Amino acid sequence: MEAGSATLRTRLGWQLWALAPILLLALVVGLFVSSGSWLVDLIGRNPPPADEFDVRRVEFRPSEIRIRVRNPQPDDLTIAAVTVDDAIVPFTVDGPTTLGRLRSSTIVVPYDWVEDDPIAIGVTSSSGIQTTQEIAAAVETPTPTATGFLGYGIIGFLVGVVPVALGLLWLPSLRRADARWLSAFMALTAGLLTFLGVDALAEAFELQGTLPAALGGPGLVLLGVALSYLGMTFLSARLGRGTAATGVALALLVAIGIGVHNLGEGLAIGTSFAFGELQLGTFLIVGFMIHNVTEGLGIAAPAARERVSLALLAGLALVAGAPAIIGTWLGAYVTNDVLGVLFFAIAAGAALQVVAEVGRYVARQAPGGLLSGWAISGFLAGIVVMYVTGLLAG
Amino acid sequence: MGHAAMIGESAPAVGGPNDLDALLYPPEPLAYKPGRVREYTLTAVDGELEVAPGVYFPAWTYNGTAPGPVIRATEGDVLSVRFVNAGAHPHTIHFHGIHPANMDGVFEIVSPGGEFTYEFPARPAGMHLYHCHATPLKKHIHKGLYGAFIIDPREPRPPAQELVLVMNGFDTDGDGGNNFYTVNGRSFYYARYPIRVKRSQLVRVYLANLTEFDLVNSLHLHGDFFRYQPTGTSDYWEYTDTVMQCQGQRGVLEIEFANTGTFMFHAHQSEFTELGWMGYFEVVD
Repeated sequence: MEAGSATLRTRLGWQLWALAPILLLALVVGLFVSSGSWLVDLIGRNPPPADEFDVRRVEFRPSEIRIRVRNPQPDDLTIAAVTVDDAIVPFTVDGPTTLGRLRSSTIVVPYDWVEDDPIAIGVTSSSGIQTTQEIAAAVETPTPTATGFLGYGIIGFLVGVVPVALGLLWLPSLRRADARWLSAFMALTAGLLTFLGVDALAEAFELQGTLPAALGGPGLVLLGVALSYLGMTFLSARLGRGTAATGVALALLVAIGIGVHNLGEGLAIGTSFAFGELQLGTFLIVGFMIHNVTEGLGIAAPAARERVSLALLAGLALVAGAPAIIGTWLGAYVTNDVLGVLFFAIAAGAALQVVAEVGRYVARQAPGGLLSGWAISGFLAGIVVMYVTGLLAG
Repeated sequence: MGHAAMIGESAPAVGGPNDLDALLYPPEPLAYKPGRVREYTLTAVDGELEVAPGVYFPAWTYNGTAPGPVIRATEGDVLSVRFVNAGAHPHTIHFHGIHPANMDGVFEIVSPGGEFTYEFPARPAGMHLYHCHATPLKKHIHKGLYGAFIIDPREPRPPAQELVLVMNGFDTDGDGGNNFYTVNGRSFYYARYPIRVKRSQLVRVYLANLTEFDLVNSLHLHGDFFRYQPTGTSDYWEYTDTVMQCQGQRGVLEIEFANTGTFMFHAHQSEFTELGWMGYFEVVD
């Protein structure tokens, strides 16, 4: 009893002591914040704030332009004047006119914009600094209508579910392949997932670069990658019941990795269509279909040695492909740049985790292991196939 | 809403109805009296000007406005302009006209806290202007150091309702291009507060262009024609509804409005019009 309470006291002491630096930090911060501008006075004058807005989204509605702006700097920023194509226009603000740090408002401009014409939106702060956003082509922003919703859903279905399902039909052929060929196809899966991972990582960094510095920098990408990599590792351990995942479990992991990637892909496609940056052409859809058909092959390869029901195959196709549908909807209607960065980072982490998973499988199961010519050629072939078919979708 | 609708309350202009009267209506002309001394004091001050609603421009001004006050004399007067530099940078006043080299506002740079008195005979009669000539010249002009300078002829011009319009621009974000264009310093001001004139009565407008960065500026009047005398010196009058001036050019417009009603006037560079250089005459009986 006495020993028990001593243990409790020691443990409590350890936890209380851990709080000490935090409390002291709060004290020092409080003192510094309340002590005025003496530090700035010692150094000299502070340079003036940049007073530029972060234009997050420009929407074109019939006879109306809506501009979502954010204040990316610590100092307050006031919306004073708005120009469209270098002409002062009347406007109203939905939200505060003076924006605190990272606060957003929507500027509403009654304006008869011209369909398909380039247009320049200018937002001027009270200090006279003008932030200009060039729009390549003014296109009406989709509002959630039943037909539009259906249309974006079909795009997602065509570029996501269809090619993955078709790719899964390689399964009977894979069943008849010998062990060396199968290991090559497994390595090919790893290659294509590596390609997708790098692709998603690049997208994540590119999107993150457009965010204001106050929103976290590359750390946001790292957070997303770590989150999904560790999440997938946890999932893989559960599926494999302690040992490395094989067979259907591995196929499911590959499907999830590809699915998260397709969510990001759908997001990018939806946003680009919605904002007139991408033409909804047959060529583009066909390009994505060819590009993604290999993903089906990647899911089929690990399951080649097991009995798989048709329902399970359909389930795998949905896990890998259906996120593209959700992605196009999100991209078209509710774009959020922070969410976009996270999606792509999560896709990168998931893809890379599955690469590690597949790599472990190849190392153990394939004749000759990771260093066999079949595995190396398969891996390279996966990257080459993704690159070449990616040219079609570019 | 189109720009045609930008009139009265809907026009995005700063301030009250009579704020710019001192710039719009020049001092009364005085009869010819050679040797009479005309004294003015101009003080260079730094300050923020609200050039459009909620948009503040860190300006350098003579007496607190851009353009500065209207200087007026009759030919033969002796001008005595005391210049006090209360700004943070060296400035001068360079008058257009005929005067000694040491009164030209180029060599006698006036340091902050210093002062200088320019003295010279007022000639030739016409519509002139003045501006700072310290370097960098472009900066000192676009910051707001300029104004109208009228010299009346010995034989007075016919009595008229007289107006001064100085065309200018403001580069509020410092990128070497104007963000706002105005006459007399506030964008869309005369769209919100139209200039009231009488029909069939002679109206005389002293017009000058002190717009920096752009090659030219212009004035176009709707619904009527006026006579235009370049520099206010020539014996040649053009009958037109549009005049163009390079930076530093100026002239005198005369008109008797034929109709009552609201008539727009603006730069005939559409871009300048839509960035603030637009207003109305309200012609009444």
